[in-house]
Amino acid sequence: MPSTPRNRLGDLERAVMEELWTTADAHPEGRTVREVHDAVGVERGLAYTTLMTVLDRMAKKDLVRRERDGRAWRYTAASTRAELTSESMHHTLGELAGDTRRSALLHFLDESTPEEIDELKAALAELESRQPDTGRGTV
Amino acid sequence: MLVVAAIVVLASLLAWPVPRVLARATALRKAPRAALVLWQSTAVAAVLAALLAAPAAVPALIGRQVRLSEHWVVVGIAAALSAVVAARLLLSGDRVGRNLRAARRRHRDLVDLLGDARDGDHRTRVLEHTTPTAYCVPGVHRRVVLTQGTIDRLAPDELDAVLAHERAHLAARHDLVMEFFTVVHEAVPRLLRCDAALREVHLLIEVLADRAAVRGAGVLSTGRAIVAMAGGPRPAGTMAMRESTADARARIELLDAHRVAGVPVPLAAAGMYAVSVALLAAPLALFALAITELTLV
Repeated sequence: MPSTPRNRLGDLERAVMEELWTTADAHPEGRTVREVHDAVGVERGLAYTTLMTVLDRMAKKDLVRRERDGRAWRYTAASTRAELTSESMHHTLGELAGDTRRSALLHFLDESTPEEIDELKAALAELESRQPDTGRGTV
Repeated sequence: MLVVAAIVVLASLLAWPVPRVLARATALRKAPRAALVLWQSTAVAAVLAALLAAPAAVPALIGRQVRLSEHWVVVGIAAALSAVVAARLLLSGDRVGRNLRAARRRHRDLVDLLGDARDGDHRTRVLEHTTPTAYCVPGVHRRVVLTQGTIDRLAPDELDAVLAHERAHLAARHDLVMEFFTVVHEAVPRLLRCDAALREVHLLIEVLADRAAVRGAGVLSTGRAIVAMAGGPRPAGTMAMRESTADARARIELLDAHRVAGVPVPLAAAGMYAVSVALLAAPLALFALAITELTLV
């Protein structure tokens, strides 16, 4: 993978979310910047302030939530990994197509009844019968 | 006056009946590239006719000698009418473009955060989800997104077909074609919009990407991939998209359509290209005719 600044930032955000997700059960109250830095920053040779900036930005993007704890902030993941994955799947239904009803660039995701699936399979069987060879038609 | 009427009739035809007839001409799908060119020239010709109709009427109303000091009302009204058409297009373009790019950026950030790079390729992301789904996020920082369910469910050659399909969308910038049609669609007053036209253009783009999948993975692998993806479970709360099973079926039937006997596809394509050129030329020629010998005094 080419190591562009963009990728490095993406990787860092991933690592931070990973840390918050995996420690969520043991630390429901959240993690401080210091703790996150110890877990993901030190091995990458990153400054404490870098982690502070990244967490701050992630809070603005609503990826993480934070609460005051004395003089420090405690950060928790705003949603679980599964929740976020479902959310991203729902996006694809409309937004990416530029309008809320259509999924212009979403493929294959379908609302099909068993009868409709049978129809598709019949169409596939017909296609197979039209192919002279059994395998990979080269066209 | 006849010429002006011709431009107005042309604009009306291109705005209302032509897209509706074209959307039903399913035979055109056998030449998807030519059909898309025909659709695009229809849209551009409609826009040109709408833009030029009012200016073309000016000489018919006030003669060949236009004195701005005398005729500024007529000239002003004509300019205003064209400006309304242009403004609707620009506003629609701005809105659609901005929404699209914002949604894509948000979505790309999310899949980058959630999805693992597949085989070290950071542009292909795998989401931990059982629903078989594959799609692409177009743009400069483009992504192909697969779910783990897709990888688990599909045979390797079928997966190749899916990836070739998505990469064809990205490489050929099909998103820009779709964006253009969405912009024109939304610029048109709501009553005139033709949803069937947008759906048909979308299907043609899919057929075109399927051709790339066939080149990469073969006819049967592509057909099986379409069926496998269509039959999968769905995430809760997704919308019903009735037309898409019909679309999937049409796509399967079109995978080897170029072999269908009796339909001379290259000839049909040539004809469609010729009609496209004629369509583009029509509003321009009529406008030129309307304003010949027009002098600004």
